[in-house]
Amino acid sequence: MSIASDLIRGHTDTIILAHLIEKDSYGYEINRTIQEKTGNVFEMKEATLYTAFRRLEQAGCITSYWGDENTGARRRYYSITAEGRKTYKNNKAEWETTKELIDRLI
Amino acid sequence: MSDNIRNYVEKLFEDAPKTRKATELKEEMIANLTEKLNYLTEAGKGEDEAFNIVVSGIGDISELFESLKEYSGYEPLQYQLQRKKNALIVSVSVMLYILSIVVLILSSEMLQLPGSISVSFMFIIAGAATGMLIYNSMSQPKYLKRDETMVEEFKEWKASQNKDKQIRRSISSAMWTLTVAIYLIISFAFGIWDISWIIFIIAAAVEQIIKAFFEIKR
Repeated sequence: MSIASDLIRGHTDTIILAHLIEKDSYGYEINRTIQEKTGNVFEMKEATLYTAFRRLEQAGCITSYWGDENTGARRRYYSITAEGRKTYKNNKAEWETTKELIDRLI
Repeated sequence: MSDNIRNYVEKLFEDAPKTRKATELKEEMIANLTEKLNYLTEAGKGEDEAFNIVVSGIGDISELFESLKEYSGYEPLQYQLQRKKNALIVSVSVMLYILSIVVLILSSEMLQLPGSISVSFMFIIAGAATGMLIYNSMSQPKYLKRDETMVEEFKEWKASQNKDKQIRRSISSAMWTLTVAIYLIISFAFGIWDISWIIFIIAAAVEQIIKAFFEIKR
């Protein structure tokens, strides 16, 4: 199956926010969940994921903190802010409208 | 095997800007990639195969370095809020200045109030506007460093210098407005035009004292 990665990439921020609304999480967990939810069809590139983290953090949509794992390297957790929830709601509403339009057009 | 991940990421970051953010990102990536590697080997992949999957999943790292170097797209939230507040205070102040003239004309022409009272009204309003402008410049946040480099540290220092200067300027302008107000009010009220000009000399002295105070504080 071929998927339009470009189309999905435009929604990277929203996808991450959607995941963080459920619970605080870290890079690999988010990516694995994406993979599971899409039935192993889609996985984000690490570079795309971390770029989105930085962007969202700068926009005040998410904050980060270091976990306290005893074994191995420490994970960096992200949590969503009130601003992030607002952005998520707006983006989702936007997507719903767009999806409906595209469905009518093609 | 996880040492291979560390080495690989270290190599990737050789060209990255040397900032604290970059170091943090590197650690974050190593932790996540190692976990992915362990997950894959537990799922039954061979070590080499797992390593290759992990590496190919990283993608184009250069866009990520761009975001470490300079600040991208979005403006920090704090700045946005501050800018809105700034704009509001400045526009209300300007409105008050204009209103003060209107009040002067109205009260002296329409209500036939004595000149001294009309002028006092005007200056009370103008004084409030000036006060708001001073408050605005004093409550300006300090410059936010965009990363941990020397350049940004210098900018922060520079901004704090400018802020001092700004506050001094606002206080000085407020004081002179006030001086003129007092001059006119007491001259009209008591008819002491022959002596009241001395207030300007006093004001000049006060300004020097304020200046000295700022110098000492530094």
